Order: sequence, then C-alpha cells, then structure tokens
Amino acid sequence: MNSQLWALAVAGTVVLAAAGLELWQSRRARDRALGVTAAPAVGAIDPYILYFTGESCTVCRTHQEPALAKLAGVRVDKIDAIADRELADRFHVYTLPTTVVMSAEGQSLHVNYGYAPANKLERQLADARTGDLRATATA
Amino acid sequence: MALTTIDHSALKVNQTGIVATVLVAFIGSYFVRGLLVLIPLLAVVLLLGTFAPQLALFKQIYFKVLKPRGIVRPHPVQDRPEPHNFAQGLGGVFLAISSVFLLPLAVVGLAIALLVAVLAFVNLAFGYCLGCQIYYQLGKRGLIRA
Repeated sequence: MNSQLWALAVAGTVVLAAAGLELWQSRRARDRALGVTAAPAVGAIDPYILYFTGESCTVCRTHQEPALAKLAGVRVDKIDAIADRELADRFHVYTLPTTVVMSAEGQSLHVNYGYAPANKLERQLADARTGDLRATATA
Repeated sequence: MALTTIDHSALKVNQTGIVATVLVAFIGSYFVRGLLVLIPLLAVVLLLGTFAPQLALFKQIYFKVLKPRGIVRPHPVQDRPEPHNFAQGLGGVFLAISSVFLLPLAVVGLAIALLVAVLAFVNLAFGYCLGCQIYYQLGKRGLIRA
C-alpha cells in the first residue's frame, strides 16, 4: 500500500479513537453530573436551565444563545465557567456550551455537553415538568 | 477581555483554504511528489497569520478579493479573536511537525496533515473548534487568560 493510503488509515483510526474517547468522556461526565444539586430557583415552581458559557466560546453566542432565546418563559441562569469554576466542576463541565436542565428543587435532570438545540431543551423541560408533577402528586 | 466584531466569513475562508491545500498536497503528491511542499508552506502561512494577521494569506484573500467582489458575504459576530488565533496557531504547529516527518516518514507526516484538515473541516461544517476547546481548558486551569 502506498503512503497516502496508510496515512488515510492512520488518520481515520485517530479520528475514530478520538470520537470514541469523546463519547466515553461525555457519558462519564453526564453520569456524574446527573442528580447534582445547585441552589433552587427562589420561589420557582418550574424547572430552569443552568447555562455554562465563557467569553472564549463562539458557539455559545452563535448557536446556543439564540436557541435559549426561543424558550419563552424559562428561567436561564448564565454562568461563566471560568469565573465560577467550583460550580462548573460540580457539573463536570469539560466543554462549552454546557446546559443543565434543573428541577424546581435544584436537582440536575438532563445535562447537555456541547450545543443543545431548542427542541431538545424543550423536550427535556417538558420531561422535567412531568417529573415534578409526578413528585407533587405522590407527595 | 472585551468582545470585538469578528467577520466569521474570514474564518470560514481560512478553514476552506486549509482543507483545500492539504487535500491538493495529499492527493496531488500521489502523482507529483513535489506537491508535498504545500504542507510546510501552509504551516508557515498559518503561523505567520497567527502572529501577524495582515500576513494571514486566506483571510487577506477574503478581505481583498472575495468580500469586495461580493463572492462571499460578510458575517460579523461579537466574538473574541484569541481562541481562533490559538486554534490557527495550533494548526500551524501541527503542520510544522507534519512537515518534519514528510521526508523520513511520509505516512506520519501525511496523517498529521490530514488530521489538521479534518479538524478544519469539522469547524467549517459544524462550528466545532477543537483548538477553542483546548483554549478553554487551558484557561480553566489558569495556564492562559481565557
């Protein structure tokens, strides 16, 4: 086989390995971040979103913020992941943007590492509301 | 650090230039081995452009040719230039490493160059910038002011 084909095979293997590593890291971080608590929204009866961002995050400005703006009436707590490292570490934020759907009681229900489109967040919020309703009904 | 207006079309043209140059070098070198010289040249272009933006070849092509003639429309975004410059510099460094390997171990040199092209393509097509993520991680660890 010539150099080009071998190089293609090597680069392909590295890309696949990196994709696998990213998947593993994302799952591990999500597993650790689920159920983590933060300060509950004062007087909140609805789920809310923790939005980890940073000045160096371009996707946050070009994609994530317009997606969050589509969620009418949802409280979004914007957190600078560099300035508030303690909170970012608690939710295992390893990439920006990261969005966390929190229950009204301040418990993380869904964690999205990387850009999360509006429809995905809406689904997760609906799921969180259903969970809260169930909790209320059984309380 | 304050946000400034960055024309993202210039970044996209830069990424397109990186992908195109590596592909020409990669495919072309199968027929004409001399085309491999494009890889060290691209490394020099990226590294020069990182430290002196007026020497960033692909961005200058955009600002001097493509934008004035309306071939590519501008896309101004409030952003910070540092992560993008860091990512470009990282690409330049990896292409420089690739260039060192091209003669003694062409497979390794070509593979590294291909990886740089893949990452430039991922940024171009999906907006995911690995260099910017590394910049964030370094900032988080206090190694740079992110």
